[in-house]
Amino acid sequence: MLEVSGLRKVYEGRRVEALREVTFQVDAGELVCVIGPSGCGKTTLLRCVAGLMPPTAGSVKVAGAAVTGPPPRMAVVFQEYGRSLFPWMTVRQNVELPLKEKKVPAVRRNELVAGSLAAVGLADVADAHPWQLSGGMQQRVAIARAVAYEPQVLLMDEPFAAVDAQTRADLEDLILVLWRDMGVTTLFVTHDIDEAVYLGQRVIVLSGSPTVVMEDLKIDLPPERDQLTTRSLSRFADLRGHLYAQIQRARGDR
Amino acid sequence: MTGPETVRRKDVRATRTGRTALRVLTVAGVPALLVISWQLYSTVSENFYVPAPGRVARAFAETWFSERLLDDVLPSLARLLAGYALAAAAGVGLGVAIGLSPRLRAAAEPVLEFFRAIPPPVLVPLIMLLAGIGDGTKVLVIASGCVWPILLNTVEGVRALDEVLSDTCRMYGVRDLSRLRHLVLPGAGPQIMAGLRQALSIGIILMVISEMFASSSGLGFTIVLFQRGFQIPEMWSGILLLGLLGYVLALLLRRLERRVLSWHHGRGVGRA
Ligand SMILES: Nc1ncnc2c1ncn2[C@@H]1O[C@H](COP(=O)(O)OP(=O)(O)OP(=O)(O)O)[C@@H](O)[C@H]1O
Ligand SMILES: [Mg+2]
Repeated sequence: MLEVSGLRKVYEGRRVEALREVTFQVDAGELVCVIGPSGCGKTTLLRCVAGLMPPTAGSVKVAGAAVTGPPPRMAVVFQEYGRSLFPWMTVRQNVELPLKEKKVPAVRRNELVAGSLAAVGLADVADAHPWQLSGGMQQRVAIARAVAYEPQVLLMDEPFAAVDAQTRADLEDLILVLWRDMGVTTLFVTHDIDEAVYLGQRVIVLSGSPTVVMEDLKIDLPPERDQLTTRSLSRFADLRGHLYAQIQRARGDR
Repeated sequence: MTGPETVRRKDVRATRTGRTALRVLTVAGVPALLVISWQLYSTVSENFYVPAPGRVARAFAETWFSERLLDDVLPSLARLLAGYALAAAAGVGLGVAIGLSPRLRAAAEPVLEFFRAIPPPVLVPLIMLLAGIGDGTKVLVIASGCVWPILLNTVEGVRALDEVLSDTCRMYGVRDLSRLRHLVLPGAGPQIMAGLRQALSIGIILMVISEMFASSSGLGFTIVLFQRGFQIPEMWSGILLLGLLGYVLALLLRRLERRVLSWHHGRGVGRA
């Protein structure tokens, strides 16, 4: 579904080589997490995959088609969720706008908006403005917007970096439920090793600069995940420990 | 048992009356003081050029509640609004175009700064030469002065649009007109409004000035006419009318802003 091959990105001007050579694939319906040390180019990778930025070399393909601009059936949840919502629109309008642009008929549109807001537990604040909500609620609006869009591929850039631990656990479970219900191919960027192991079917580890794929690790945990039981499995601890060592190495290489 | 209740209710009423009185005092206090000092000054000095407030008030009623309202005030107002609307349309239109295109901006910015630096009143003689002395000239003068703050503020506002919001639009296929309507205009809204506010006071100044040059009607013209005819209370009443006019127009604009930018003000309060 998603093929990234030989991706290289050099920012002109400061001539920063954010990505050296990144290659990986994500199958249809898979949930893959990407981790790496801070500043290693995770956001850069995501923006290239989303078609928001042309790579210096290499290519990205979604469902076999080369990405040259934002693909029609892709949704992104940005790291700066507060800034990705329109403050002059209500929650409902924020979720609805992309559907209007997609020319979804009004009846279906209302269904999708109501359904996705209910799924993230925000049905009762549909008429509030984003700035009237807490950070975690704002992030759920961004997620609802992505879900209502019915994407083929969903990209998320450290979506829970700025919320408290409890909210974060709730949002992780929300993502798992939505992903399972929709079967959407998901690429989830995080810097949190636990989160990556808990959510992912696979974890891709990026090295520090010059950035390449250091490891592509299958997470062989039972498919049903639960905050308490999954996290207390000994296999969970093994995987976590292994990735921790990898990240330490990635840092040390720099 | 109703004793304490009644007392409390009375207390509440008393404080409410007290608060209202205080509000009235704050709002009306300074103007009242001004009028009183004016009255005192005119009584003491008997300066011919400073008539008493009462005389000016009488002149106000006689002068402006007459056919002058139709012959002078309304045409002035119409020209002001026409020029202002023209400037708003041109300023926002060009501002959006320039703000969205880095190329255009690089080319236009120095020129814009230059034009903005020219004091608008000096354009009056020039425009008069080019366009004659009709209504069109006056509208053009007003528009040419009002357009700069609107234009420059719009450019700034559009340039400062949030990148994340811009990327969001790209991802979700919000393009062209839709993008203009849902991202660019509301995003630049606070700045555009700031430009409109600045432009209003410039517009009123230019309305008066354009009528002081070769004109046969209008507020500015009438005030000069009164001054030349030594109709001093009438002249004062004209100045008073201009002040009131500016005040009311600014008030209306603020009303509009509160409605259009309610999200902006709400957010400000939320943060504070
Ligand atoms: N627009 C840009 N222009 C120039 N350099 C940039 C730009 N954006 C990012 N960089 C550089 O590219 C490198 C990778 O940045 P990126 O934001 O992709 O990292 P990241 O892994 O997402 O970091 P974090 O974990 O902090 O979010 C950094 O060295 C950064 O300074
Ligand atoms: Mg990042």
